[in-house]
Amino acid sequence: MRMCCSLFFSFYLLVQMSPAALAQTPFIGIFKSVSGEVVLINSQNTVKVLPNMKFAQGDTIRTGSDSSVGLIFVDDTVISLGSNSEMEIQSFLFNPVEKDLSFVTRLLRGTFSFISGQIAKLAPREVQLKTPDATLGVRGTRFLVKVD
Amino acid sequence: MPKRIYLLIIGIGLLVISCCPQNTKVVLIPEPGGNVGRLTVTNETGTVEMNRAGEAIVVSDQKSAPSPPEIISAAEINADFAQVLAVEVSQPEHFVLYFKSQSTELTAESEARLPELLETISRNKSQDVSVIGHSDSTGDYQYNLALSKRRAIAVSGLLIRQGVPASIIQISSHGEKNPLVKTADNVSEPKNRRVEVVVR
Repeated sequence: MRMCCSLFFSFYLLVQMSPAALAQTPFIGIFKSVSGEVVLINSQNTVKVLPNMKFAQGDTIRTGSDSSVGLIFVDDTVISLGSNSEMEIQSFLFNPVEKDLSFVTRLLRGTFSFISGQIAKLAPREVQLKTPDATLGVRGTRFLVKVD
Repeated sequence: MPKRIYLLIIGIGLLVISCCPQNTKVVLIPEPGGNVGRLTVTNETGTVEMNRAGEAIVVSDQKSAPSPPEIISAAEINADFAQVLAVEVSQPEHFVLYFKSQSTELTAESEARLPELLETISRNKSQDVSVIGHSDSTGDYQYNLALSKRRAIAVSGLLIRQGVPASIIQISSHGEKNPLVKTADNVSEPKNRRVEVVVR
């Protein structure tokens, strides 16, 4: 019982802490449409995704059944996730002036729609989508991926 | 005894789920404007390129060659992707509006683009509109920072008057430090006297 309470309490702390923790990381995009059960997982905690919330490099996004979410990155890349999907943003750099450009994402499972943005235009070699079976190189622009 | 049988069935079920080879399916589809891009699929066996609308590839693991690219029907695409296509978020659209010199008044050409901007906000059901003010390098830094901010506020005022909720607009201003056309200091450059609107 005590164990259960302390677990609950630490979970409560995590949820309470999350907005401040998120605000400290430089954001790289926003969630646009959110439907059903969608969570963001980063090194500190797990938070429920709400529309217009921001995400950062290193975040993992996971959807439940009958759920979906759209991500708009600051370089105009758009990724939409269907039900039971999971992806991790491994690296995202968008600094065209210094030519610091990178976009590496792992698609772990589920269905995805991808519309490439400025990074794929400026530095196509820096865009990589990794699935368990292959790596996709993106020269533009719109495609669908299913990982099961 | 029946309990064991249940456990056995569950066990076999889990085994079937976990043993099944993972698959990656990739389908190249046209942009809303009709343009078709290009993709490469690479694993330990090499690289396959895709460049035709509706072209699909299946890869079963890192050590197996991808299936040859094959154009599949809309029905086949929908069988796997109907849900994600239905919720697909559209790409942000950018508008650049220009101003008269030293002024928060739009040029006639840019004013004429407002209906298109408003139509885009409503079509995309946007909940996030960024309005970013800029200036040219005529005048000092602080003056231009203030001028670019007034320009952004002027554009957001025009949008709000046409029914765009103020709550979805985010205003920022860059002054003279983010020019479209690089110039020396104190140069009047019409292309730098602008507000960029990003509709997400």
